[in-house]
Amino acid sequence: MGVRANSLFLTTANLILPASILIFAAAFFPYKPFLPGLAKYEDIGYGAPPSAPFDKVIFMVVDALRSDFVYSEKSGFKFTQSLISSGAAIPFTAHATSPTITMPRVKAITTGSIPSFLDVILNFAESDTTSTLAHQDTWLAQLKAKEGGKLVMYGDDTWLKLFPDTFSRADGTSSFFVSDFTEVDNNVTRHVPGELLNSDWNAMIMHYLGLDHIGHKAGPNSPNMIPKQIEMDGIVQQIYDAIEGETHLENALFVLAGDHGMNDGGNHGGSAPGETSPALVFISPKLKTITNGVECPITPRQEFDYYTKIEQSDIAPTLAGLLGFPVPLNNLGVFIPDFLQFWDQGTDRAQILLGNARQIKNIVQATFPNADFEYDQSDIPVTCAGLSTGDELACKWRKNLHIVATYDEEFVAEIGLNSLLEFCRKAQDVMSSTASNYDVSRLLVGCAIAFVSVVLTLLSMIKSLSKPTSTGVFFALALLLYGIMMFASSYVEEEQHFWYWTTSAWFFYLFIYGSRKKEQESFALHPALMLLICVRLMRRWNQTGQKYAGAPDIVHSDFLNNPLMLWSLIGATYLATTLRLSRQVARSVSESEDDSEDGISEAHKLIGALVMMPLGFTAFLFKLGFTAKDAPELVEGMTSALLDWVDSLSLVAISRAIFWGIGGSLLWLTINEWRKSRARKGARGSGTLAAALFDFLSLFLITQTRAQNIPLHLIFRGMLFFLAHLDLTTTQITLSSLLLSHASFFALGNSNAISSIDLSNAYNGVSGYNVIAVGVLLFASNWAGPIYWASYGTLLLSAHDSDIAEASQSSQKQNKNVKSWVAAERKQLHSLAVATSLPDLNEEGSGKGEGEERLFFNHLALLTLFTATGLLAVQVACTVLRTHLFIWTVFSPKYLYAMAWGLAFHLGINVGWGSLVWWVGRW
Amino acid sequence: MSTPGIKSRPAATPIDILPTDAARLYTHIHPALVLSLYALRFNAIVADPVPALLQTLIPLSTLQTAYVTICLPPTAGSGSSTPAVVPKTAKKRAGGAAKATSDSNTAKIVPALLSLILSLLAITPLTGITLILFGAPITTHFAHTFLAAAHIAILAFLPLVYVLGVDGERWREVVGLLLPVDEVVGGMVGTLVGAWAGAVPIPLDWDREWQKWPVTIVTGAYAGYALGKLAGGLVFKGRKIMFD
Repeated sequence: MGVRANSLFLTTANLILPASILIFAAAFFPYKPFLPGLAKYEDIGYGAPPSAPFDKVIFMVVDALRSDFVYSEKSGFKFTQSLISSGAAIPFTAHATSPTITMPRVKAITTGSIPSFLDVILNFAESDTTSTLAHQDTWLAQLKAKEGGKLVMYGDDTWLKLFPDTFSRADGTSSFFVSDFTEVDNNVTRHVPGELLNSDWNAMIMHYLGLDHIGHKAGPNSPNMIPKQIEMDGIVQQIYDAIEGETHLENALFVLAGDHGMNDGGNHGGSAPGETSPALVFISPKLKTITNGVECPITPRQEFDYYTKIEQSDIAPTLAGLLGFPVPLNNLGVFIPDFLQFWDQGTDRAQILLGNARQIKNIVQATFPNADFEYDQSDIPVTCAGLSTGDELACKWRKNLHIVATYDEEFVAEIGLNSLLEFCRKAQDVMSSTASNYDVSRLLVGCAIAFVSVVLTLLSMIKSLSKPTSTGVFFALALLLYGIMMFASSYVEEEQHFWYWTTSAWFFYLFIYGSRKKEQESFALHPALMLLICVRLMRRWNQTGQKYAGAPDIVHSDFLNNPLMLWSLIGATYLATTLRLSRQVARSVSESEDDSEDGISEAHKLIGALVMMPLGFTAFLFKLGFTAKDAPELVEGMTSALLDWVDSLSLVAISRAIFWGIGGSLLWLTINEWRKSRARKGARGSGTLAAALFDFLSLFLITQTRAQNIPLHLIFRGMLFFLAHLDLTTTQITLSSLLLSHASFFALGNSNAISSIDLSNAYNGVSGYNVIAVGVLLFASNWAGPIYWASYGTLLLSAHDSDIAEASQSSQKQNKNVKSWVAAERKQLHSLAVATSLPDLNEEGSGKGEGEERLFFNHLALLTLFTATGLLAVQVACTVLRTHLFIWTVFSPKYLYAMAWGLAFHLGINVGWGSLVWWVGRW
Repeated sequence: MSTPGIKSRPAATPIDILPTDAARLYTHIHPALVLSLYALRFNAIVADPVPALLQTLIPLSTLQTAYVTICLPPTAGSGSSTPAVVPKTAKKRAGGAAKATSDSNTAKIVPALLSLILSLLAITPLTGITLILFGAPITTHFAHTFLAAAHIAILAFLPLVYVLGVDGERWREVVGLLLPVDEVVGGMVGTLVGAWAGAVPIPLDWDREWQKWPVTIVTGAYAGYALGKLAGGLVFKGRKIMFD
C-alpha cells in the first residue's frame, strides 16, 4: 500500500473522530425540551383554588449545607434545632440528584424538574443563554406574575445568571476565590436587616457561599465549620424574630435549604450520600398549628439520612401549594404531604394534589404519547401491574380519574389522596430515571464511526503491523486492557492506577531493554530507574480517584505546606524554566550558525538573561499574588510588606503581561529563526525553534498550574533529562509520551469525576466573560501535564529525526552537529547515540525524505489508534451500560472527559500543535 | 549487541534438572506443594498479614531449599567470584550426583542454605525497593511490603542464586533477561510478572478483606511462580527472550 493511501486513511480516521464524538454526545446527553409559558389554574371541578396559608417566602440557601450540619449533635444550628423541637420548623433531608453542583441544583429547586446532564457543561459555560430559566416556569416566575409580585435576591450570582431581569433589587457575589470565607457572606448579610423592614417584596432569596468555600478548602471537619454554622444560625434567628415581630411578615414562609452536600473531602459533584443529602427546613410560627415538633438533634437512620427524605424537586410544588400559585409546568416534584394539614377541607387537599398530578400527567403524556390517558367509564382498570412503564402510569392515572369521578368528596379526601400521591411518586420515579430517553440508534452510529476510525488507523499502519516489536506488543496490551477497563465503574473511577501501573512497568521494561544493549557502568544510576523514582514521586503527589480520596499525599503533607519549602521549590521551577528561555533567546540572538552551547558568546547569554528574567520574575510574582488570594495559608510567614505589595497588584493585568510576554517573545524568535532558515537556503537547520516553543509552552503551563503542583514541573524537567539519555526508538518515544501524558494528568490531581475539574486558573488574565479564552485556559490548566508530555514527545522525535538526517548526511562528525539542545543534556553519553540510531534509518523507509516523514506519521498513527480505540471503548461501555446504576455518576463524566481527550487533546494538541512543533523543528 | 566484555565468556545454557528420579519427580510436586502451602495459609494472611507472612516464610524457605537441593545443580564456586563456567560444572556435578550421593548431599545443602541467606539479606531489600518504586506504600505498611519482598525473593531468586552463585556477569544477564529460558528463569519471570499483575484487583470497589496490601501481590507472585516454572521448564525451555 502506498504512502499516499496510508496518509489518506489516517487523515480520514482523524477527520471522522469529531463526528463520532459529537453524534454520540448528542444522543447520550439529550437536551430536554421544556414546556414554555406559565402554568395557570385549571378548573378541576372543586371550585376556587384553596386559600394559601402564606403570601411571602424567604428562601435562604446555604451552599453545601449537608443534613448533619443542621440536625446532628455537633451542629452549630442550635436555634434552628430549637425551632424544630418546638414545632415552628419542619425538617427534611432533600435528596439532590447527581450532578451535585450549584447550577443544576438551583434549576431543580426552582423548576421542580430534574436537570439534564448537559447542565454540567452549561454550568461551566455560565454565560450560555440556553441555560437561563428566564423563559421557563419556576416558582420565581409565578411569584413575580402575582399581583404586586416583586423579588429580591442577595448572594451567589448563579441566580442572577439563571434569572436575568427577574429581581427588583439584587447584589450578586461570585465564588472566585474559595479562600474567602467571610466577605462573600457579609455581602449578603448586610442587606438582610434592611430588606426585612421592606414590605414591597413577596420573595427574598439569599444564597450564602461561605460554608461551601470552607468545605472546598478544608473539608467538613474544618475548625471554621462550626463558627460558620453558628453565624448562619444567627441569621436564621434574625429572620425568625422579624417574622414574629413585623406584621408585614406574619404570613411569610421561611425556607432554609442546602443546594447539595459535600463528601468527606469537602467536594461535591458526584453521588456519594454526603453529596446528595442537603438539609431542608421549613420555618414559620404558623407551622405550630400542624405539628408539635420533633426531637432535634437526633442520630440519623443511616449516615446523613435524617427525618423524612424527600426529593429536592418537591420544593417547587410544595411552595406552589403553600403560597397559592399553580404548580410550574415542568415540575416533577410531589407536594410534601405533611403540609396538607393546613387545609381542613378534604376537597382542598384533593385539589392541591390533583393540580400537582394533572401537571405531572401532562409531562408523562408528552413522554409516552402512545399510552391511553383518557378516562373511559366502561373500562375501569383493576390492576396496573405487568404493563409497560408508560401504560402503567396511564393506567394509574385512569384509576385516579375514576376515583375522582365516581366517589364523593369525603372518599376522595381519604382514599383518593393516597392514590394521587402514589401516581405522582411513580411518575417522578419513572421520569427521573434515564433509561427511557436514549436514542440507541444514534448511539450506535457514534460507536460505528469510532470503529471505522479504528479500522482506518490500523489500515494506515499495516506496514508496521506486519513486524511486531516488543514495544508494539506492550502498546497493544495496554490498549486492550484500557478498553476492557472502561466497562468497570471502579476502574473508571480509579483510572490513575492503570496509568501508574503501566508506566512503572514500561520504565522497568526500558531498564531491562537498556541493560541488554550494552555494558552498563552502574545499574543503580540507570536513567530508566531514575524515571521510575520520578514516577513514584509523581503518583504520590496528588491522591485522586474515589476509593482513597482522602488518603495522605505530598500536596497535603507538612513538608509541602511549609511555605518556605513550597516557595523554594516553586522558585527553583521558575528559575530552571527561565534559564532555559534565556538560553533560547541567546541562541537566537547569536548570529553564528554554530548552535552548540560553546558557540554562544557570554554577551549573548547576558542579553538572553536580561530579556527573559523579567518575564520569569513576573510569572513568579503572579503565582505568589494569586496564591495569596486563593490559598493564604500557603504564603504564611512571608513578610507582610511583600504580601501587601503583591496584594496591590492587579492579577488580571499581570497575567496578561505574562501571556503577552510569552507571545511576543515567541513571535520575535519565530521571525528571527525564519530569517536564519531563509539564509541557509534550504540547508537543514538545527530546529532550535521547536525547543524554544516547548520552553515557552512550559512557562505558560506552569502559569496555569496550581502553586502546590508547580514543583511537579521540576520533576518533569528531571524526567526530560533522563528520557533524553535513554536512546529510545521512535515507537518507544511515542509510547513514553502517551503513558506520561495520562499519568501526569492524574498526578496533577485530576480524575474522571466532575468535582476534580480545577477552575481556579481558568480566569487568568480574563476580565468579564469570554467563552473561548476561559475554555482554552481551563483546558490548559487541567491538561497541563498531558500537553507538556505530548509536546515533548514530538520534540524528542524531531531530535531523533535530525540525528538520523545528520548522521546520514555526513557520517560521524563530532557532537557539534547533533541537535544542540539535546547535546547539552547528553554531554557524557552522547557518543553512542548516533551510532545506535543509524540502523533505524535503514528500516524505516527507503528514501531519506520519506523516512523522516514516516517518523511523525507513525507517531500520529499510534496516538490516533489509542484515542479512537479508547473512545470506542467508552462509547460502547456507555451504550451497553446505559441502564447501569452509575451511568450518571461514573460513565457520563467519563464520556465528558473522553470528549475532551479526543477533541481538545488529541486533535488540538497531538495533531495540531504536534504538527506545528514537528514542522518548525525541521526549519 | 556484542560487546568485547562478553565475548570471552561462553553463552549461558538452560539449566537441566539433575538426572535422578527424585529430581524428575519432585520438580513437578514442588509447585503443587508451594501452592498448597499458600492456599493453607491464605486465610491467616488475609486476617493478619504481618505475622502470617512471617511464619509462612519458614515453610516456604524449607520447600525452596529442598527443591534446589533435590532438583537443581549448584553453582561451582559458591561464594567465590572465580569466572567459573557454570553449565559445564553443573553438568559434571549432575553426572557425579548419581554415583556419589553421600558426598554431594552436604555439598548441595551448604550452597542451598547460602542461597537462602543471600536471598533474604541481599535480594529482599532490592525487591522491597522495587515494590516501592512500583507504588508500594512508603510511609506505612513497611513490614507488609518487606515481607512481601521476602516472599518474592525466596520464590523468584533463591533457585537462581543456587544455580548462578554470585557471578556478576551472569547476574547482569539476569537483569537483561538474556539467559536462556528454563524452569528457574521461568519461575523468576513468572513470580515478578505475577506480583505486578497482582495489583490489578486492588482498586475494585468490592470491599473484600483480601484486597488489602499486600495480599494480592503475594498471591500473584505464588501463582506466577508456579505458572512460570511450569512454562519455563516444559514449554519454552531453551528459548531466548527476544525483545525485538
